[in-house]
Amino acid sequence: MEQSLRETIHENPKKILGVNSQDAKVSLSYLTVAFVSLLIGGILGLVQGLERAGLIQLPSWLNYYQVLTAHGLLLLVVFTATFSIGYLYANLSHALGGLLPKVRKLAWTGFVLMIIGVAMVVTMIVLNEASVLYTFYPPLAAHPIFYIGLVFVVLGIWACCFGVFINYRHWRKNHPGEVTPILAFFTMGVFVLWFFASLGVTIEVFTLIPWSMGLVETTNVMVARTLFWWFGHTLVNIWYLVAISAWYVFVPRIIGGRHFSDKLIRLVVILVVILNIPGGFHHQIIDPAISQSIKFLHVFMSLSIAVPSLMTAFAMFVVFERTGRRLGGKGLLGWLKKLPWGDVRFLAPMIAMISFIFGGAGGIVNTSNQLNQVIHNTMWVVGHFHITVGVSVVLTFFGICYWLIPHLSKRKLTPKMNKIGIIQTLIWTVGMIIMSGSMHIVGLLGDPRRTSDTTYGGHEAAASWVPFEMLFAVGATLLLIGVIIQVYAVFNMMFFAPKGNTEYPVAEPEDDETPTPMWTERWGLWIVLLLMVVAMAYVVPIVDMLLNAPPGSPPIRTW
Amino acid sequence: METTKTLKTEKPEKYDEKSLKGTIVSVGFVAAVIVVMWVAVFWIYMERV
Repeated sequence: MEQSLRETIHENPKKILGVNSQDAKVSLSYLTVAFVSLLIGGILGLVQGLERAGLIQLPSWLNYYQVLTAHGLLLLVVFTATFSIGYLYANLSHALGGLLPKVRKLAWTGFVLMIIGVAMVVTMIVLNEASVLYTFYPPLAAHPIFYIGLVFVVLGIWACCFGVFINYRHWRKNHPGEVTPILAFFTMGVFVLWFFASLGVTIEVFTLIPWSMGLVETTNVMVARTLFWWFGHTLVNIWYLVAISAWYVFVPRIIGGRHFSDKLIRLVVILVVILNIPGGFHHQIIDPAISQSIKFLHVFMSLSIAVPSLMTAFAMFVVFERTGRRLGGKGLLGWLKKLPWGDVRFLAPMIAMISFIFGGAGGIVNTSNQLNQVIHNTMWVVGHFHITVGVSVVLTFFGICYWLIPHLSKRKLTPKMNKIGIIQTLIWTVGMIIMSGSMHIVGLLGDPRRTSDTTYGGHEAAASWVPFEMLFAVGATLLLIGVIIQVYAVFNMMFFAPKGNTEYPVAEPEDDETPTPMWTERWGLWIVLLLMVVAMAYVVPIVDMLLNAPPGSPPIRTW
Repeated sequence: METTKTLKTEKPEKYDEKSLKGTIVSVGFVAAVIVVMWVAVFWIYMERV
C-alpha cells in the first residue's frame, strides 16, 4: 500500500523532494537581498581599494570612512546574515519535511525587521551621520537612528532564531528516540550561537542609544568594546559553521562519496557552539584594563577553537582520499586527480577549504599575544579576514548557489552556467590571492588599516607600502568582476535557467557507521556549558572594568 | 615477456582503497603551514623587541 505523505515525512524526511514552494520563497527572498548587498558592497570595496592606492580621489560628499563603514556592514552583516538564513531555512525545510506555518511567518517577520533595520543603518551612513566603521564601538558615535536600525536587525535575527527553535522542538516531540537530521542539527548549532552572540551586542547598543542622544554624558568604552567582540568574533564562527555544514554534508555527495563520521560532525558542531564566544577577547589582546593573567586565559580559550577546525581538516581529507581511491586514484596523492575539479559545486568550496588552511594559521598568529603585537591594527588583519571570510566562507556560499538556487527555483544548472561558475571561482581566487596576499605582507611592514591616507609626508617606510597598495587595487578590480559574474549567475539561475529538477545533494553516512548516540541531542546541556565558558571568560574582566572604570567617554565625531 | 606481465599484475598494490596515507601527508601539510607562519611572525617579533 502506498504510504501517505504524513507517514513518509515521519519515517524518512530525506525522501521528500527538497524544499516546498512556500519555504523556497522565504529562502529566495533572503538570497535576493544577500546578492543585492554583495553587489553594492563589492562596488564600495573597489572604491576603497582605488582610494587607498591613491588612484582616485573621492568627491567632497563622500569620505573614505563612510565607504569603509558601508562596505563592512553590507558585506559582513547583511550579505552573510541573509545568505545564511536563506540557506539554513532551506536546509531546515528539506531536513524536517517543511517549515511549520508559524515558523514561516517568523521568517517573514525577521525578513521585514531586517529590511527596516538595514534601511535605517544605510540611510544614516549615506547621510554621513554614521562613519563609525563596521565595529561601531565607542568613542566614535553615530546618529541614534543608526543604533536603532541595528536593534531592528538583531530583532530580525532573533525572529529567525525562535523559528528554528520552535521547528526543532516540534520535530523532537514527534520523533522520540531519533537523532535530528544532520542539516537540522547544524541549523540548531548556528542559531543557538547567533542568539547568544547577539546578547552581547544588544546590551552594548542599548547603552549607546541614550549616549548618542545626549541623555547620558559618557559611556564605558572598555565594556562596550568587550561586548562588541563577544558578538564580533562569534559572528566569524557563525559564518564558519554555516560553511562547514556545506563541506561536511554536501561536498561528499557532489564528489560521489559519503560522510566521514556523523558522530564527529556533531561533536564539531557542539564544540564550536560551546567554545566560541570567548574567542572575541583575542581582538582585545593589546587593550589596557585587562590583566596579563586574564589575557593568558583568553589566549588559551581562543586557541581552543582551533580544535574543531583541525578535526574538520582531518575529516575532509579522509572523505577526499576515500572517494578518490574508490574512483581509481593510485599512489600517495593520486586520489586528488580523481576529484571533480570541473564541477563548480566542488571547485568553489574546495578552494574555500584550502584557503582556510592559511586563514586558520593566520588566526593562530593573531591569537598569540606577542605575535599580535606585530600585526595589530595593520593591513595583515584586513588580509586575514579577506582570506577567511572572503574565500573560506564566501566561496563556499558561491558554490552552494549552483545547486541551491536552481533547486529552489525549480530550474537546472546548465553546463554553460557551470563553466561561468568555474571562471568566476578562478577570477575570485586570483583576485583574493593578489589582494589578501599583499595585505598580509604590507601589514608585516607596518601599514596601518582603517586609514585613508598613509603617505606620512613621504616617509621612506610609508613609501615602501605603495607598490602593495597598488596590488590591493588590482585584486579589488578582479574581485568586483567576480562579484558581477556571481550576481549574474545567481539571478540567471533564479529566473532564466531552463526549468527542471535539481538534486538537494545530501551525503549519506558510510555503510558500516554505528548509530549516532542520543547524547548529542542534549542542547540544554550544550547551552549550559556555553554559558559556563562565557562566565569563566567574562565575569572577572567585566566586573573589573565596571568597578575600576576609567573616565567615561563623551560621543566623538571625527568626520 | 609473459612472465614479466604476470609479475606486474601480481605485485601487491601499495595503497588500497582504505589507505589514509594521503590524509596523513595532507594533515602534515596543514601542520607545516601553521608552524612556518607562526615561527616567521614570531621571528619578526623577536627582531623588533
